[in-house]
Amino acid sequence: MTTVTTRPGLAPRLSALTKVVELGPGRLDDKLVSEAQNLLLRAGDRLKLSSEHTVVALAGGTGSGKSSLFNAVSGLELSPTGVRRPTTARTHACVWGLEGAAPLLDWLQIQWRHRFARASALDKGESQLHGLILLDLPDHDSIRALTDTEADRLIGLADLVVWVLDPQKYADASTHRRYVTELAGHEAVTVFALNQADRLSAEELAELVIDLNDLLRREGVEHPSVVPTSAVSGRGIESLKSVIAGAVSRRRAAIQKLEADLHRLEQRLTQSMPVGEALDVPASVDEARRMGLTDALCDAVGVPAVGEAMENVYAERSSRWVGWPYPRWLDRFRPDPIKSLRLQDVGDEIRGITTGSVSAQSAEVANAVQALADGLTGGMHPVWRSAVHRAARSELGALPRTLTEDLTEVAPRLDRVPGWWRALKVWQYVLVAAFGVGLVWLGVGLLLPGRLPASLQLLGDTAALPWVALMMASVLGLGILSGIASRNFVELGASRERERLEREMRRRVASIAEKAVVEPVERELGRHHAFYQAMRSLAG
Amino acid sequence: MRDAPARPVSVWDMPVRDASGPAKPSDAPVGDASAQAKPDDAPIRAADPPEPDAKQAPAEATPADDWAPFGEGGVDAVPARAEDASGEADGVSVGDGAAVDEGDADAWAPFGEGGVDAVPAQAEDASGEADDVSAEDGASADADTGAASAEAEDDLDEADGAPAGAEDVPGETPGEVEEELPAEAAEALTAALGALRESVAGLQFGLDLPGAEEARQARADLQAQLDDYVLPRVRTRTAPALIVIAGSTGAGKSTLVNSLAEKNVSRTGVRRPTTGVPVLVCHPDDRQWFAEGELLGGLRRLDKPEPGAGMRSVVVVATEKLPQGVALLDTPDIDSVVEEHHEIAHRMLDAADLWIFVTTAARYADAPAWNLLRLAKERGARLAIVLSRVQPKAREVVLKHFVRMLTEYGLGEIDRFVIEEAAVTDGRLPDSEVTDLRLWLAELSVDDKRRAQAVRKTLNGVLDSFRTRVPALAKQLELQVAFRSELRGDVEAAYLGALTEVDKAFRSGMIIHGEVLARWQDFAGSGDLMRSLQLRKRPRSSQAPERITAFRGALKAGLESVIVAAAGRAAEEVAGRWRHRAEVGGKLSEGLERPSDELVRHAGRAIASWQEHVIELVRTEGVAKRSVSKLVSFDADSLSLIFMVAMFSGGRAEGVPHRLVKALLGAESLRGIGSKALSDLRARIGMLFDEESMRYVQALDSAGIPDESAATHLYQATYNLEVAR
Repeated sequence: MTTVTTRPGLAPRLSALTKVVELGPGRLDDKLVSEAQNLLLRAGDRLKLSSEHTVVALAGGTGSGKSSLFNAVSGLELSPTGVRRPTTARTHACVWGLEGAAPLLDWLQIQWRHRFARASALDKGESQLHGLILLDLPDHDSIRALTDTEADRLIGLADLVVWVLDPQKYADASTHRRYVTELAGHEAVTVFALNQADRLSAEELAELVIDLNDLLRREGVEHPSVVPTSAVSGRGIESLKSVIAGAVSRRRAAIQKLEADLHRLEQRLTQSMPVGEALDVPASVDEARRMGLTDALCDAVGVPAVGEAMENVYAERSSRWVGWPYPRWLDRFRPDPIKSLRLQDVGDEIRGITTGSVSAQSAEVANAVQALADGLTGGMHPVWRSAVHRAARSELGALPRTLTEDLTEVAPRLDRVPGWWRALKVWQYVLVAAFGVGLVWLGVGLLLPGRLPASLQLLGDTAALPWVALMMASVLGLGILSGIASRNFVELGASRERERLEREMRRRVASIAEKAVVEPVERELGRHHAFYQAMRSLAG
Repeated sequence: MRDAPARPVSVWDMPVRDASGPAKPSDAPVGDASAQAKPDDAPIRAADPPEPDAKQAPAEATPADDWAPFGEGGVDAVPARAEDASGEADGVSVGDGAAVDEGDADAWAPFGEGGVDAVPAQAEDASGEADDVSAEDGASADADTGAASAEAEDDLDEADGAPAGAEDVPGETPGEVEEELPAEAAEALTAALGALRESVAGLQFGLDLPGAEEARQARADLQAQLDDYVLPRVRTRTAPALIVIAGSTGAGKSTLVNSLAEKNVSRTGVRRPTTGVPVLVCHPDDRQWFAEGELLGGLRRLDKPEPGAGMRSVVVVATEKLPQGVALLDTPDIDSVVEEHHEIAHRMLDAADLWIFVTTAARYADAPAWNLLRLAKERGARLAIVLSRVQPKAREVVLKHFVRMLTEYGLGEIDRFVIEEAAVTDGRLPDSEVTDLRLWLAELSVDDKRRAQAVRKTLNGVLDSFRTRVPALAKQLELQVAFRSELRGDVEAAYLGALTEVDKAFRSGMIIHGEVLARWQDFAGSGDLMRSLQLRKRPRSSQAPERITAFRGALKAGLESVIVAAAGRAAEEVAGRWRHRAEVGGKLSEGLERPSDELVRHAGRAIASWQEHVIELVRTEGVAKRSVSKLVSFDADSLSLIFMVAMFSGGRAEGVPHRLVKALLGAESLRGIGSKALSDLRARIGMLFDEESMRYVQALDSAGIPDESAATHLYQATYNLEVAR
């Protein structure tokens, strides 16, 4: 027994099929997957078993003369023939050259008592049949066959199938619809024997052969090989033998059969999942889409709004520290509606919003993820589309919480008071004090000009008073100016802070999106891509 | 029948005749057989049985010669009557009356009754039942000595059934039967059939559920059979019998027809399938009827085969070689690669009065052949089997095996003919091979009553078959309707779920997350909130409208996203459920896996107008608390925003917004506005979802599923038909 040397083509295609089977479950029709698995198993088994032997099955309807033909080819009365229908219920096998055939026959599940050997040494002139395992199958169309799949099974396993037709039944739907149309592409491993040719005159036979050829062509068998035979008169047996012998001596039928089966399966796979544009679907999530997802997730968290809120709250709070104090004091005298509604605590709470809390809105998160998946799966087969959607949503449940927790870490502290605020507050109070001093001076100078002790004579100097007034005005102006300036500084700082904050939040959102959404999606996209690559290489 | 040549006496005759020895009625028949064949006599006799006084009359006045041949018709009625005996004997009489339409039919229907009557009479007289059976056997067998052996078999069948009927049937039925007006009954039957046809014709099975394809086929078959056969047959029962020759490709159907017609009417040859156009062969006198009749009315009549005539036509050929009153129809095969042939063959079989099934020694175990035989048995059609191409040396073995198979299938008692493999010259078999068959035909031709029996038996079989076939259609219809409501249920459940989900989102405070939360903080923290509440005396200071607009926009976006997400999930759920239910569900939901493109736009519009509505509510109803309004004036825009935040904050009643609006509006008014706003929002979202779910309903409606009443109509029609029979 030697290993079969596979033509380049079968092996890579089989491995492509393995890949398809690996990636297919859940995506392909279960039936197709199991058929592909069966084909792989069968191919593995057959290629392991004797390549020296070629399994030729005689198949056909009841009464077409399979057993007679079997006997005629083997030259022995091995399979019982009869007039009762159906005659053969169990498969008979005849082997030319026993060596190494037993495992193959075991694999074919031929019972021991139905195995026969033709010692080829005894048969002069039949050496070309050495390596032939001829099977006589039960029929496939009688009422018995309805409950028996033996014929079906062996038609699938045999390397070469000889369809035994007869003038009465050659156009039966049971043969053609169930098998022949299914076998399109199997020309190399299918032979049609038109048996019982002795019942027809020469002209009739010629007409019939033409008709059969036409019929087969219509069904997609492009180059049918039709051999008229007669098991009774022996006519045509030799040519059938030589056709079989050709296949046997080439030792290629097994591979051709597998190739044909593969081709057939590939066509069905392609039909159910056409490669088409599928390979144009991106295999990864590109930069623009990532950006889009990050943007959408940022919106779901409200990153821009958080930044804006921070900026505004900051500015509002800063005015309490760095602003010109006089208007603030004036405000105190204005009646507070909160107070008048006796909602002091509410007011305190509102003023006490110190930490901007950040959280993700889960519906918006879901929509963002959905939009990404929608954008990616445009040209996809529905099954894959829903698979990508599933992958995208795989961590959706936890995503809002993850986002919330992660971003809360960088949420701005609104009660932060920078040192320069305090300094400015001191400065403002210094200015207020200076204004107060000026006010006292002015009052003293105007009201008590002559009654001052000598040490304070300076205060009473009326000439200095205008200067004092000028100084007071400048102090007020300085207060206003420094209030405005520091407010500008605060705003500048706040907007810088806001930019930093938004950048940081975006970075975090992007990294979470990468882990929770993009990676699972890319895994599925990769699977999709690999599947269609395998499909393409399966097509060869 | 008189000139029917002596036939080999069937095996059935021998024991029967022995048994019949003691039985009285069996003495007379042979001589009388000649008389009863004449249609003229029949009506006169027919008039007799209803009158006879007392019960002994049937037994004597209509001795075996009369009822035995008609036993079939009479006995047919027995099971029916046995069922109806308790309740409505009328139903039975209608059916029988219907047969009493015109001509010969008059003759046998009353006789049938007479025959049945005779049975109980005898049963009472005789000592034991077993004796009665044999007595009847004897009667029928003797009366029919000249007839086919098969006839005797049939009679035996009936005889088996008869005692049962004899026990159940009360003796006084005959009178009622005669009171019925036959014409009216026939009309009733026709009307019932017409109604059935009406309700069958309009049916469609839009969903490709398992069984739908079969149902469509069954519906088409049913309608074709009603048009081609049942309606014409009920209208004119006396028409010549149509014998359809069916069988596998290459079985030699055309050769058989040619041989019987002694004329090459149908093409024969080695090509399979050979016959493309059905050929009808009849006697010249019957030609008119077949050429213009309603039987197989859907097919175009041709005088000779035309190229390209196609399957929708039938060639009508007349030949004197065929006896009058029977026509042979050569059909395409039932099992070749040309599927169109199977269809037309089945259609012809549906229109047949008698079936001749042809198979060969090589084919008799083929599955399609047995499927056909099973069908014939189900339909109760009169059947004869021809086994052709039998090698003389194999004849014994093959025949034995075949008969055994037939017996196993319960078809052991059917007329059988064997044709040996013989040289076919010029498309015909040697005459000797078809003699038996020719005789069988001749008997049918001569014996009007026997023919009428056969015709009626098949017709009854067909009508019987409606009892199961029509309800089967109705069942499929109900299946479709049920499936549709299941799909509708899926849609409703999914969108109800979506609504619940949205509700949950409202209650759980999910809206107040993300941007909305940030905007709220902005609004509150930046002092805008405070500024929006002003003392009355004060003129309004500058607002921050852009901030309020942004806040409102965020709220709107948040609500929108909740709705869109819920609708998306619902759409996906519907598609998923439909796909999960059946393949056709997946097909229907194609393109409906995502919410419609307008959803976002519509949702945006709905939310915006809801927000307007809330502002309006706050403005008009929110001024309840006097004590507050004295002190504080507020901006309705801002307050409505605070109100919405309070509303969507969920259970956090102690939250700032909640306390604020409560203080401003008062608890009472807040509750009022709250419930109004919420129910308004719910209604708007409900409308959105309704719009969404309409897409599925439309998809379902476009699939073409009849409504629930169609199935009811079918049941009704079946019931009416049974009543009319």
